[in-house]
Amino acid sequence: MKSINDRSQDIGPFVSQTDDAIIICRCEEITKGEIRQAIHDGMFTVNEIRRYLRAGMGLCQGQTCGKLVKNLIARELNVIPDQLDPATSRSPMRPMEMKVLGNEEVSHV
Amino acid sequence: MKRYDLIVVGAGPAGLSAAIEAARCGMSVAVFDENTKPGGQLFKQIHKFFGSKEHQAKIRGYKIGETLLAEAADAGVEVFLNATVAGIYLDKEVLVQIGAAMEHFKADTIIIATGAAENMVTFDGWTLPGVIGAGAAQTMMNLYGIKPGQRVLMLGSGNVGLVVSFQLMQAGCEVVALVDAAPKVGGYGVHAAKIARCGVPFYLSHTITKAEGSDCVSGVEISQVDEDFAPIPGTQKHFDVDTICLAVGLSPMSQLLKMAGCNMVDDPRRGGQVPQVDENGETSIPGLFAAGDVSGIEEASSAMIQGRMSGLAAAAYLGFLSEQDKDNRLADLEIALDSLHQGMFAPGNKGKTFTKTDEGIAVSQSLLKKGYLDDADLERFIHRSDQTDEKSGIHPVIECTQNIPCNPCQDACTRGCIKVGKTITALPRIDATISCTGCGMCIASCSGQAIFLVDEDYAPGYASITLPYEFLPRPQKGELGTALSRSGQPLGHAEIIDVRSAKTFDQTTLVTIKVPVEQAMTARFYQPETNAAGQ
Ligand SMILES: Cc1cc2nc3c(=O)[nH]c(=O)nc-3n(C[C@H](O)[C@H](O)[C@H](O)COP(=O)(O)OP(=O)(O)OC[C@H]3O[C@@H](n4cnc5c(N)ncnc54)[C@H](O)[C@@H]3O)c2cc1C
Ligand code: SF4
Ligand code: SF4
Repeated sequence: MKSINDRSQDIGPFVSQTDDAIIICRCEEITKGEIRQAIHDGMFTVNEIRRYLRAGMGLCQGQTCGKLVKNLIARELNVIPDQLDPATSRSPMRPMEMKVLGNEEVSHV
Repeated sequence: MKRYDLIVVGAGPAGLSAAIEAARCGMSVAVFDENTKPGGQLFKQIHKFFGSKEHQAKIRGYKIGETLLAEAADAGVEVFLNATVAGIYLDKEVLVQIGAAMEHFKADTIIIATGAAENMVTFDGWTLPGVIGAGAAQTMMNLYGIKPGQRVLMLGSGNVGLVVSFQLMQAGCEVVALVDAAPKVGGYGVHAAKIARCGVPFYLSHTITKAEGSDCVSGVEISQVDEDFAPIPGTQKHFDVDTICLAVGLSPMSQLLKMAGCNMVDDPRRGGQVPQVDENGETSIPGLFAAGDVSGIEEASSAMIQGRMSGLAAAAYLGFLSEQDKDNRLADLEIALDSLHQGMFAPGNKGKTFTKTDEGIAVSQSLLKKGYLDDADLERFIHRSDQTDEKSGIHPVIECTQNIPCNPCQDACTRGCIKVGKTITALPRIDATISCTGCGMCIASCSGQAIFLVDEDYAPGYASITLPYEFLPRPQKGELGTALSRSGQPLGHAEIIDVRSAKTFDQTTLVTIKVPVEQAMTARFYQPETNAAGQ
């Protein structure tokens, strides 16, 4: 099994592909090419791609693109997707307005 | 902060079933669901379910949902709607957004039943308006009464793709093609046959290469794929469509479990990231359970059983149920769950290719490639038990040729004409020694719409065929239309000689057509004169 934490591994140069312009993360409008480029910049995990590009940080919180991003990373690193950790899950589960999170308009049950 | 014995997240079939069992054991139970309506996926499912009596077979999904809600109310379950669970913390503390307020709850046990989300595939133009998930199409049609489009192409031949294709036609859309990259139909053959006989062409080993249009979908291009699923240049086909429906699988929405710190595994056979659970759904955190699609994509029928199991286990965990009672009741549920996990489509058989049925009959390749049984297959399947087929008069013809967990046809025929036997995945057989009264209960009870009544001696030179019909408007007696073959090809004129609907048929209309006797074994659908099938 290949270690995906081995940052010194050579994954070869970034070679553009014909469908690099396809959007992968709809919410933040991040393309396949941008994600592949980020992997070649050294972002080897879904979490790193999230922080670097905001892919998976939009309205759906990666519900749609999470698997797609994972598959892209797996292909570039030449590992199977199951070997990659998915993005961290943390509260709040859904995007939420600050005034709600801060309970400014409280009407308790 | 408010306390409960049990907090359930998700009011789908799994969550509601869990809540009912726990509340009946005396627990105080709160269920949170982020939707405005409870029921999860169930209220979108207007078709009759498979399984057996104990799995509520032949009952339509939304009716099962209504029953669950009534039972939950009876048992004293509190259901909170518009209530999104935003976080789960140590010691089973839960943060919920209800309306514009954040509320804090604590429980001694938690059951996560958050279901699944639809997968997407990417192709040129996939973000154009008009490319939607099949579940979204189902929500629009069946919950809100909105037609998703006029002309639709469906990608995905699993049960979801097949069922939603049929529902799209019921809603008045035209389904121009059913496409799948796999070389064979993934879902039940009976579901495929239902849409093939309406004339929907199947394109297996094909995928979408482009959604066309500038502001929204105006067309779609599909291409054949090679063994590695790569599109083969030069094989493109174009369809004018305004909607592209994707039914390419579901992924468990297991984020809350991960957030809570449960041990997770990545299991492609269960749909992705799922919690490690024991046989009752308990995760690596004692008192925290997962049930339904969130712990592995299956079906509503199994989600309900898993929900009940986790509800009972939670009750036993807190001492609301003795260990012995728990074991007794779980044993029955395990048997019920196990019977659903049998047959060609069992979770453990995912990806396997069957060449023969359990009975040793070669499976229909035509059903797997084109969605319908061809004439050669009929020989093998239709005359299974009644070799003495000289019988005159009305008799059932069953076109159910795969080992699926289903048997309502057997219970439907009180005369005993139809036999599935103890193993519910066995193919239904006809006992030709018992004469059929033509009551039609078998047709209406068959979740796969796979039973027909044929009378070769209806009139000199003419046969009558009674078929299940679930489109509106209902045809009228005396009406003239076209008889369609299993592949939806017009065979010639058909006259409606009888139309029956009854409460016990549960919305399925039984239409009897008169066709030339040569078509007795080929005519399987009826198309009204003025419009195309399903419109
Ligand atoms: C198109 C389609 C057709 C199907 N047809 C059939 C069929 O014919 N027969 C069959 O047996 N099965 C069928 N299924 C499968 C069946 O619907 C599912 O297996 C079943 O609904 C799973 O039940 P569940 O309770 O696990 O999840 P769901 O029914 O999905 O319910 C989960 C609930 O949790 C809520 N939720 C999620 N996250 C949160 C949160 N953070 N806070 C609050 N609430 C939350 C959701 O709003 C939802 O109401 C079909 C599925 C689809 C998509
Ligand atoms: S029509 Fe009635 S009697 Fe005949 S097989 Fe069906 S259920 Fe039995
Ligand atoms: S013929 Fe019987 S087993 Fe087959 S789908 Fe119909 S009801 Fe189920």
